[in-house]
Amino acid sequence: MDENKQLDRRGFIVWGIGGLISVAMAIPAVAYIVGPALQQDTAQNWIRLGAASKVELGIPTLFKAKVQRQTGWIVNEQELSVFVRTDNGRDFAAMSNVCTHLGCRVRWIAERSEFLCPCHNGVFDKDGKVMGGPPPRPLDRYEVKVENDQLFIQGG
Amino acid sequence: MATRIGNWLNDRSGWRGVWGAIFLRKIPKVNWLYTLGSATLFLAVNQVVTGILLTLYYVPTPDHAYDSVQYITAQVPAGWLIRGLHHWGASAMVVLVGLHMLRVIFHAAYKYPREMTWLTGVLLLLITIGFGFTGYLLPWDQKAYWATTVGTRIAGAAPVVGDAIMRIMRGGPDLSAVTLARFFGVHVWVLPAVLLSFIGIHLYLVIRNGISAMPKRGD
Repeated sequence: MDENKQLDRRGFIVWGIGGLISVAMAIPAVAYIVGPALQQDTAQNWIRLGAASKVELGIPTLFKAKVQRQTGWIVNEQELSVFVRTDNGRDFAAMSNVCTHLGCRVRWIAERSEFLCPCHNGVFDKDGKVMGGPPPRPLDRYEVKVENDQLFIQGG
Repeated sequence: MATRIGNWLNDRSGWRGVWGAIFLRKIPKVNWLYTLGSATLFLAVNQVVTGILLTLYYVPTPDHAYDSVQYITAQVPAGWLIRGLHHWGASAMVVLVGLHMLRVIFHAAYKYPREMTWLTGVLLLLITIGFGFTGYLLPWDQKAYWATTVGTRIAGAAPVVGDAIMRIMRGGPDLSAVTLARFFGVHVWVLPAVLLSFIGIHLYLVIRNGISAMPKRGD
């Protein structure tokens, strides 16, 4: 190896085959390691919340729904809490009750018409916009649809 | 450039001497049967690499082992490939170790001064079988469960100490979470440590004593 710096026939075969095997092994290995990190969230089905008629005009109403979420090989049942509000009984808005600051649960304060997060006094208005406190962005919204008086949400 | 880096490193480590001793050593005229050991070593490396990758997702508990294996096979990109390489590599390794041993027997290559190489080789064979036995349980499917039930009971058939051995292997009277966890621990920690140590000794001896020439008529 020392004297002839030219890659001879044997060296070419050895390093060529060795390199091919290494690459053939390395590419699947990298895909295998990073694969789950690249997968999209699959829980994109419509989730049924309950009767739309339960929502009083102008008052955010809290709905709870159980959702199955698969993480790796484990299926978890999570409870999803969602505020639904309507001004006219036809158009509904659904927002998460999770504060965008650090994930505490917000509650509706009827007399002030605001959502309040008890952890660090984050305040949101009836549309989920930040009115005060540390939250960096509005409450997360869900897509809503109504079928046969049943509310469904998706995404979030 | 590569030569200059190589020289710089060689001045400080002497790696060219090591390289030469391993790859440029003199060997007698031999045939393809003499590559069985190298092929086994290649498979051992394959088992180490794919085995490490499998532990990224595999969980050795009865409630998750089977599901995590299914997850690897069906969900993880190239998981079927990694698991397949480990699965088939395991069988191939047992076969190759056996063929390697037969070649050494038929060529009488175990004689002076290579008795130690032979002995460490026998240990490596036993370790390989230990890998096969412990690894077989890990998918935690019906085949794995019953094969290990039978396998440990065979150990239990030994006179006097049999029952104690079986209980120690199972970590109790029956196959359980304890059995799965300890088979996993032995498979990924104990046996690899022993295997790599003995591969090191085995290879050192092969290089130090050289390999035996093909026996001639009348030898």
